[in-house]
Amino acid sequence: MKNKVRSIYEHKDRTIPILSFPSTQLLGITVNELISSSDMQVKGMAQIAQRCNIGASLNMMDLSVEAEAFGAKIRFCDDDIPTVIQGIISDITEAEDIIVPEVGQGRTSTYIDGVRKAKKTITELPVFCGVIGPYSLAGRLFDMTELMMECYDSPDEVKILLSKAKDFIVEYIKAFKSVGADGVVMAEPAAGLLSPSLNEEFSIPFVKEIFEEINDEDFIICYHNCGNAVVHMAESIASLGADIYHFGNAISLKDIIPFMPKDAVVMGNVDPVLFRNGTPDDIKNNVQRVYDECSVYDNFMLSSGCDIPALAKWENIDAYFEKVKELYS
Amino acid sequence: MSVLSEISEFVQMGKAKNVKELVKQALESGISAKNILNDALISGMLVIGEKFKNNQVYIPDVLISARAMNQAVAILKPYLTQEGVEPVGKAVICTVKGDLHDIGKNLVKMMLEGVGIECIDLGVDISGEQVARAVKESDAKLVCLSSLLTTTMSYQKEIIDTLTCAGIRDSVKVMVGGAPVTKEYADEIGADAYTKDAAEASEVALSFFNKVNI
Repeated sequence: MKNKVRSIYEHKDRTIPILSFPSTQLLGITVNELISSSDMQVKGMAQIAQRCNIGASLNMMDLSVEAEAFGAKIRFCDDDIPTVIQGIISDITEAEDIIVPEVGQGRTSTYIDGVRKAKKTITELPVFCGVIGPYSLAGRLFDMTELMMECYDSPDEVKILLSKAKDFIVEYIKAFKSVGADGVVMAEPAAGLLSPSLNEEFSIPFVKEIFEEINDEDFIICYHNCGNAVVHMAESIASLGADIYHFGNAISLKDIIPFMPKDAVVMGNVDPVLFRNGTPDDIKNNVQRVYDECSVYDNFMLSSGCDIPALAKWENIDAYFEKVKELYS
Repeated sequence: MSVLSEISEFVQMGKAKNVKELVKQALESGISAKNILNDALISGMLVIGEKFKNNQVYIPDVLISARAMNQAVAILKPYLTQEGVEPVGKAVICTVKGDLHDIGKNLVKMMLEGVGIECIDLGVDISGEQVARAVKESDAKLVCLSSLLTTTMSYQKEIIDTLTCAGIRDSVKVMVGGAPVTKEYADEIGADAYTKDAAEASEVALSFFNKVNI
């Protein structure tokens, strides 16, 4: 286990939920204002770090930014994260013509700048950047439903698309590393919808290549997948070589922990929807359930199962941290 | 193995080309379109639905099976019309306003079509007015609303309210689904059913049509 990972793991009361967009409420700004200003991002990260007992500070988990850099059309909202509304190809054979953009296109430069500034402001905690995984990016560049079917019909063309997605992601993470990021959370949720064999062919090798390119002793790699089929692909996911594995609430975390490497931290599973629609008691009960099911495993840590929504109630977020503190006090 | 069983097997494997060839052969050999639809295509999709529910197959497998079935149904359509075969029922389906996610909606649509329900797919980012208009125009008896985001699930209620204001709420059943949606939420907003996945959606949809005797 890398030293930086060990220092996270040794403080289980300081969890790392995927918590960035609710900072808009603390700052009194819209999501649009947050995603377009690195200064606002850092202010938001600092406020979260001050208010919550977190083990690491996460910049943005925005799964549209890479596709936007490729030229995909994005819809922006004031109260929710941006969404890709149109990819850049309508036929998988066009994958060959895609030119991989330079890092810095679209909002990628803003997010890199956000991490650079965060490293100067948030000195007590590791700072993570957020990126999308290759299969999930490919789905946004083409069409998620069509991509799944093309895995059967045109596997070679799909791999061309995946390879281009991978090349961009590698350079994007390297840019984050160059400004001091301590780690990356890579979200590959769309691969969690695939069958185990398709995941093994169309996501795992590309994720592995990315991890091999960016891995070093000082850099923490977190693989996030909130798909509902991950338990059935546990063996291949475990082979990725991540330092942290992060899973959603579509599964029960206890069903996958035994299959993960013992020297990797496994976290997630607390229902992110409850942060917005539930009550503090709902959150506390959910945290308790996950804890009861998984605390027997040494490498388990609590976390939200996915991105906490921008409009999550802060009383619920506070309740999450209160409960974690209570469990580990 | 009979040709109908063979078609069913190829539907389950998602082999559209084989399915289409065998459907043409079956028609030429005098098997009725209705038999082919019920005993080969729909029966194949029911097996896939069951396997999906039991985690024996996954979303891409369902998609390619449904695609194979749909391509075969296109061949059968004129014959079905000739034979006077009506769809099991009609459903209006969409992803609600503000939400652009369509995998879940597409999957439910394909599974519904797989059990013989005609779907009017309005697409994504759809308002209550658009749903009400489509229901009136098509005389659909079922409305299926999908939402993946916590910020958009409240539009499911808005659409139900719009159907009420339009005076057509009592003439349709409303099913809701999507990652953040729960049975409790469905009850709270006055939906008739919540289904956790596409296989369950097709079962519940069928039960509604049997109840209203279409």
